[in-house]
Amino acid sequence: MPEKTIADTAKFASMVAAKQGWIVNPDSDFTTSIEEGLTSNWNSMGYYLCPCRDSDGTREADKDLICPCKYSWQDIDEFGHCYCALYLSTSFASSGRAPGGIKDRRYAK
Amino acid sequence: MLLDTLNYSSVEGSRNDKDIVIYSLSTCGFCKRAMTYLKDKGFSYRYIHLDQTPLETKSEVKRLLKASFNEDVAFPFAVIDKESYLVGFIEEDWKRTLGL
Repeated sequence: MPEKTIADTAKFASMVAAKQGWIVNPDSDFTTSIEEGLTSNWNSMGYYLCPCRDSDGTREADKDLICPCKYSWQDIDEFGHCYCALYLSTSFASSGRAPGGIKDRRYAK
Repeated sequence: MLLDTLNYSSVEGSRNDKDIVIYSLSTCGFCKRAMTYLKDKGFSYRYIHLDQTPLETKSEVKRLLKASFNEDVAFPFAVIDKESYLVGFIEEDWKRTLGL
């Protein structure tokens, strides 16, 4: 499988955001670090594992964590951004607030 | 115990009143943000990127942390003085736990 570049990943994130009506986090330093992580995960595992989540070792085990992760929609609805803060809701983005860490919904009890 | 023998990296700061260990992922934006926060506040700390350790080691570290703190391991996972922990980077929680 051909390797991805950070530019490839940035394009992927922009397409996801456009399709879902989200905004890619405008904090370019932070977003670049997330896109570097996604790119690294693609090139080592073959899929865009969320860079803030740890792999359980297989694509099947990680399938809920592949970007955009299964929890993104709920997290963006509730907090205005996804777990790793790559994607923001339009209202959160226009508020000018910076995303903070949120609980990982995967482990919600 | 495995947690005492891992190959941690150290960051030196002017504050050494707490023993802070960060279990992180090299790819994680909030892990970087958490460690920058500690550095900016002057804390010394140790860290290890678990995604850069063998799968068996990583799995055992996560098992031990979960057993010790009864908490699923998400990142960053910080252990303070071997008795309290922080999971994820929620600045208010870190501020409170670090006594800031």
